[in-house]
Amino acid sequence: MIARKPLRVLIVEDEALLALHLQECVEEAGHTVVGIAATSREALELAANANPDLAFVDIHLLDGTTGITVAQQLVHQCKTLVVFMTANQKLIPGDFAGAAGVVSKPYTQSGLMSALRFIERCMNTRTASGRPPSSLTLSKNYQERWHVPP
Amino acid sequence: MNARDDARKMGAWLDSVHAKGDPFAAAIRSTRMSMLITDPRQPDNPIVFANDAFVHLTGFPREEVIGRNCRFLQGPETSRASVRKMREAIAAREDVFVELLNYRKDGEPFWNSVFISPVKDESGEAVFFFASQFNISRHKDREHRLTTDKNYFEEEVLARTAELEQALKAKTMLLHEVDHRTKNNLQLINSLLMLQARRVTDEASRNVLRATQERIEALGAVQRLLYQEHNVDTFDLSAFIRDLAGNLIAAGGRTDIETEFQLESIEISASRAAPIGLLINEVLTNAMKHAFVNERPGRIVLAARRDGDELRIKIADDGVGVRKDAPDHRTFGTTLIETLARQLRATLKRSDGNPGMVIEIAMPLDSVSK
Repeated sequence: MIARKPLRVLIVEDEALLALHLQECVEEAGHTVVGIAATSREALELAANANPDLAFVDIHLLDGTTGITVAQQLVHQCKTLVVFMTANQKLIPGDFAGAAGVVSKPYTQSGLMSALRFIERCMNTRTASGRPPSSLTLSKNYQERWHVPP
Repeated sequence: MNARDDARKMGAWLDSVHAKGDPFAAAIRSTRMSMLITDPRQPDNPIVFANDAFVHLTGFPREEVIGRNCRFLQGPETSRASVRKMREAIAAREDVFVELLNYRKDGEPFWNSVFISPVKDESGEAVFFFASQFNISRHKDREHRLTTDKNYFEEEVLARTAELEQALKAKTMLLHEVDHRTKNNLQLINSLLMLQARRVTDEASRNVLRATQERIEALGAVQRLLYQEHNVDTFDLSAFIRDLAGNLIAAGGRTDIETEFQLESIEISASRAAPIGLLINEVLTNAMKHAFVNERPGRIVLAARRDGDELRIKIADDGVGVRKDAPDHRTFGTTLIETLARQLRATLKRSDGNPGMVIEIAMPLDSVSK
C-alpha cells in the first residue's frame, strides 16, 4: 500500500460556486487547497507563493481566455501539473500548452473524483494503473510519460 | 515619286483590264467593305488600288494612299505583335486575319479587322495581295465593357462573400458562446446540488438531492455531445449511451460490472436529445441498481439499432432478474419513465433474461429524428 501524500492544489476558476465545489471535492479526497484564483494575475501570484503540486485551470477567467497562458506559466515557472477544466476544448492547443490533460464541463461528481484519483496515482507512482476515466482526456505527452496503455 | 508612279501605272492597268461590264470589278469598287490591292513585286508592297469604302473608312483621299505601304494606318497604340503577325504572313505568302488598332487621317483610332490574302499566278508567285478591312470598334467597345462589367461583378461577389463569411464567423462564435454558457450553467446546477447535498444531514434528503444530481448529470452528458463541430442539429445516440453507461458505472464505483455495446450509429434530432437521454438514464440506472445488488458482479449489454422506421434500444443484464416478491411501488423514477415515454411515443417492455432482465424500448424514429 503506497502512502498517500496529500497534494497541494491550486484552483483557477472565476465561477465562485464551481471553485467551492471543486475545493470540497479536492479536500474530500484528502488533499489541500492552497488557493483559489479568478484572474491570471492572481493565479500566478498564488502559485509563486504556494508552489502547488497540481492546478485545475479553467480557460475562461475574469480577465478573458487567459487560462492557456496561466497553464504555460505554471508548468514552466512552478513545475505544477496542470489540468484544464473547460466547456470549450477547442481552445486548447495541440500540445495542451504543457498541461497533463483536460476535464470537460459539465463534469459529473464521480467523473471528477475518479479523475482526481487517477492523477494522484500517476503523480505518486509515475505510471498509470490503467486507462484514464472517461471524464479525463490526457495530452499525448502525458500519455507517454505515464505509460498509459493504448 | 517614282514608286508612286509605278503604283499608279499598275492601278491604271488594272482598271483597263477590268473595265465596265466586269461584275467582279464592279463588286469590288462599289462594295461597302473596305478593300485594297497591293503589288508585292514593287518595292515595299505599295497599294495600287483602294476602293471607296477604304477612303470612307480611313478618311485618306485616294491620291494620298496609292503607292504607299498600308503601314501608314498604324499608330502609337498599335500592337507590335499584330503588325509582326501580318508581316510574317505576307512574307510567307499566307492568308492572315488580324485585329489591330489603326488610325484615321484625323488621328481618330479605330479597331480594324484585317484580312490579307496573296493572289498567286500559275507559277505560284504572289503577284498581288488582296486586303479587306472592317471597323469593329463598336464590337471592341462592347467586349471591353463586358470585361469591365465582369471584373466589377467579380469584385462585388468577392466583397459580398467576404461579408457573408464574416457574418457566418460571428454567428458560429455566438453559437459556441451559447453552448459554452449552457455547459457552464449545467455545471453550476450540478455544483449547487453537490454543495447542498454535503450539508444535508438526514439520509432521505441527501438521497433525493443525489438522485436529482444524477439526472442533471445525464443532461450534462447530453449537452457535452450536442453542437459537435460537424453537426449542430443532431446528436450521436451511440456516443451518448457509451458516455452515460461509463459514467453510471464509475459513479456506482462498481469496477466489477462489464459493459458490452452493440450500438449502431444513430443520429437523433437535437431537440429530442434531452428527453431520450433522461429516459435511457432512468432505465439504465434502475437496471444497474436492481440487477447487481449486494456486490454481485455481472455484465450489461446495451444495444441500439434502427428497425424499419423504429428506434430500438435494448438493455440486458445477467443480474438477479425480475424479483417476483418485489413490492410494486410507484417511485418518481417510474413517473419519469412513463412521462418521457409518452413524450417520445415509446413503449417499454420488461422480460425475463434467464438469467437477469431484458428491457426493450421502442419508439418511432420520426419522433426523435428529423
